[in-house]
Amino acid sequence: MMNFARYFLWILVCILAVTFVFMGAEFDYNYIIPNRITRLAAIIIGGVCIAFSSITFQTITENKILTPAIMGYEAIYLLFQSLLVLYMGMESQIVIDKNSNFFLSIGIMLLYSWVIHRWLLAGENNNVYLLLLVGLVLTLLLSAFTQLIQFSISPGEFSLLLSYSQASFNRAQLSQLTIAAVLVGAVCIIIWKALPTFDVLSLGRYQATSLGIDYQVFIKRHFALIALLVATSTSLLGPTAFMGIFVANTAYMIARSPKHRLTLPSGCAIAIATFLIAQIMVEHLFNYKTTVGILVNLMCGTYFLMLILRLRKAS
Amino acid sequence: MIHVNNIHKSYGTKSVLNNVSASFPAGQLTSLIGPNGAGKTTLLMMIGRLLKVDSGEIFINEQNITDIRISMFAKQVATLRQSQDFTMRLTVEELVAFGRFPYSRGSLTKEDHQAIDNAISFLSLEPLRQSYIDELSGGQRQMAFLAMTIAQETDYLLLDEPLNNLDMKHAVEIMRALRRLCDEQNRTVILVIHDINFAANYSNHIVAMKSGNVYDSGSVKNIVTEENLKALYEIEFEILQSKHGIVCNYFHPQEEF
Amino acid sequence: MYKHTTNEKIYTSINMLFIGLLFFILCVISLLVGAKQLYLSQIMSFSSEAWLTLTASRFPRLMSLILAGVGLSVCGVILQQIVRNKFVEPATSGGLDAAKLGILISLIHFPTLGIVGKMLSTLVFCLISSVFFITIIRLIRFKNAVLVPVIGLMYGAILSAIAEFYAYQNNILQSMQGWLLGDFSRVVQGHYEIIYFIFPIVALTYLFAHRFTIVGMGETLATSLGLNYVGVTALGLILVAITISSVVITVGAIPFVGLIIPNLAAMFYGDNLKRTLPIIALGGASVLLICDIFGRLLLYPFEIPIGLTASCVGGFMFLIVIWKTKK
Repeated sequence: MMNFARYFLWILVCILAVTFVFMGAEFDYNYIIPNRITRLAAIIIGGVCIAFSSITFQTITENKILTPAIMGYEAIYLLFQSLLVLYMGMESQIVIDKNSNFFLSIGIMLLYSWVIHRWLLAGENNNVYLLLLVGLVLTLLLSAFTQLIQFSISPGEFSLLLSYSQASFNRAQLSQLTIAAVLVGAVCIIIWKALPTFDVLSLGRYQATSLGIDYQVFIKRHFALIALLVATSTSLLGPTAFMGIFVANTAYMIARSPKHRLTLPSGCAIAIATFLIAQIMVEHLFNYKTTVGILVNLMCGTYFLMLILRLRKAS
Repeated sequence: MIHVNNIHKSYGTKSVLNNVSASFPAGQLTSLIGPNGAGKTTLLMMIGRLLKVDSGEIFINEQNITDIRISMFAKQVATLRQSQDFTMRLTVEELVAFGRFPYSRGSLTKEDHQAIDNAISFLSLEPLRQSYIDELSGGQRQMAFLAMTIAQETDYLLLDEPLNNLDMKHAVEIMRALRRLCDEQNRTVILVIHDINFAANYSNHIVAMKSGNVYDSGSVKNIVTEENLKALYEIEFEILQSKHGIVCNYFHPQEEF
Repeated sequence: MYKHTTNEKIYTSINMLFIGLLFFILCVISLLVGAKQLYLSQIMSFSSEAWLTLTASRFPRLMSLILAGVGLSVCGVILQQIVRNKFVEPATSGGLDAAKLGILISLIHFPTLGIVGKMLSTLVFCLISSVFFITIIRLIRFKNAVLVPVIGLMYGAILSAIAEFYAYQNNILQSMQGWLLGDFSRVVQGHYEIIYFIFPIVALTYLFAHRFTIVGMGETLATSLGLNYVGVTALGLILVAITISSVVITVGAIPFVGLIIPNLAAMFYGDNLKRTLPIIALGGASVLLICDIFGRLLLYPFEIPIGLTASCVGGFMFLIVIWKTKK
């Protein structure tokens, strides 16, 4: 019974993937289908990033209603893109090609994460929630900058910027995808090896320390890995905000076990399925009248509110 | 005099109080004792109108408490909860002044200032008058809150585990103050308390509760006996009479070693 | 025995005097600074052109700055009492985002109703959203105080997502970004008067200051003191909703003012609102004036919107407050 839900999930993912690739494509193997397969790859990589980063992050913070994406990474990313457009206008697309943009974005987000971690996780007595709060405040601050920039550029430039501020799968190209796949694969292997430690950590920080885990070292290292995952997914797909919360919590529900060995794969499947459903809906239901980013935000935002209300019943 | 008549309370299918009836004599100090989960705090909160009753009535001086307006009720009954978890920066004096809210609704009169001074000096808190409560020790904080409740000048004081987390010195100070409130000002004090020795030595009257029922009630002498306590708490007791009071020994009541 | 009390009062009054003086100086500077040069001598000699600038633009601007500053900081303190958390203010409880959503809905669905429709729809959205937020916070009882603003900010982000969904479909995303950022340069005679709503609000708040302080002590204690807890909380939320709506409609969103000022005031003067409310009000107005003067001078003759300067100043100060609480 327990396994059934998980198998069903993967079957669903396969069906959705096939639907996505072939629906209305009329077996055009020259253009449409290769193009869609590239996007499918972006979806898979992004989904894995989100699932791994959010589930491990929630374990470390001992909290099921948080996601690392809201800690300022996305705000930094958007600010960077806005500055590019502001200073170079439409030409920014030519001056900085997609590959360099991809790497620059990752680099800047990692730098940001290094700075705030150094600042906040420096002391003995670190508090993860403070880290979060600082991230959120910086988000507010940075989005004020971004808003100002967006206000002062032309509508054409704005629509260019808009394409960056919404999650989408059309941005990524094969070369970036290959690099991202290698990067994410490596990080995931490292995390996978540390899974037993994560399981212990879900007992709580103090319990874990008394069981012999060097909490400080462990979270510093894994925060860095999480930062790498978030940076990759953001520069590959754009901001996904609440998606992580949704993915992690449905994964706990379906896996019916706190063991990371079970929750992580379910999480990946859920993330991929969500993206696929949103993309299929945008293409075939809304006729591009809305974007994947907005749909995912709305879906996951609503879920978040329901989750909070349900949490109360449980407590 | 407070009468509690056939009170029933349940959360979902779990009933916390089963048709409890009890009375609390005026001008005396009554301790509510009993094991965890007996419903002591629930009963106290209902008397203070901080929890609704499912069925049954509570009378203060023959008047049903639901017939009294909340603003009037606050002049008759003051309740102090177990832990004051707020983090506001108020000085002791400002905190105590809030005890006058039922009378002044915010603008303090001469009588209010008098009542505040009385409450502060009653507990000898003058040295702390201008200190911020978030900078006090747990015991001092509890004293400050008690002063606020005293300044409310009600006939009835309800206290939920006022000695929780206090050291022995502060615990004794608070119990003595409560005793003096009864003896000097003829107020009625009802408190939930876990330390059986404090209950035995400082109260006039005891109401013992167990799993949602009143197990027994009466004077200290009648309630604090080895058989009663053993049945109530399900552990052995040895009661020692000394010159100045009684000590209930539940640590090693029998020869074990 | 009253000696201490009197000393305390004198100390507070001297401080009040100082803050009042600072506030006055800031007002004068604010009237004189701007894209169009204005000299005291011109005003003294009753130059009609100078007076026109003064009455049509500078004075409305000054009034709305003061009222917005007072309103937002008072709002912050009321919310902090109701939620019983030091980190809550309109920006960290979804209030500003709800107001944006309200304006958007009125623009799209009731454009004919004009300013009245805007105000009503904003008010409704603010009220519903704050009641919802407070219900959530009450029900969950977060163990860690820092979590409350985190949830609030996320809640705000959801409301923003809904607004974006709407705005995208109606092709007004870019202009929405524009009017969301607090900006006083739009304030001219005839287009800002709605902000005078804040006057009665502040008066009412002062009248109820004592009750709001008691609300901050928690429901049981408040009830035990004979306070109509639900009533006062509801009143507080309505006052907050009216203030946020009128500020966001006239000048846009200004974050952090409601957070910094009450926290600073509490650090020095404690939490007894009866005593600190005037300080909080003046402080809020002064901070906005400072932000505005900076915004006007920094890139002269261009203006930096106050939403941005306030975000920077406020965000920075907020980080310091967090830093202090950490220690």
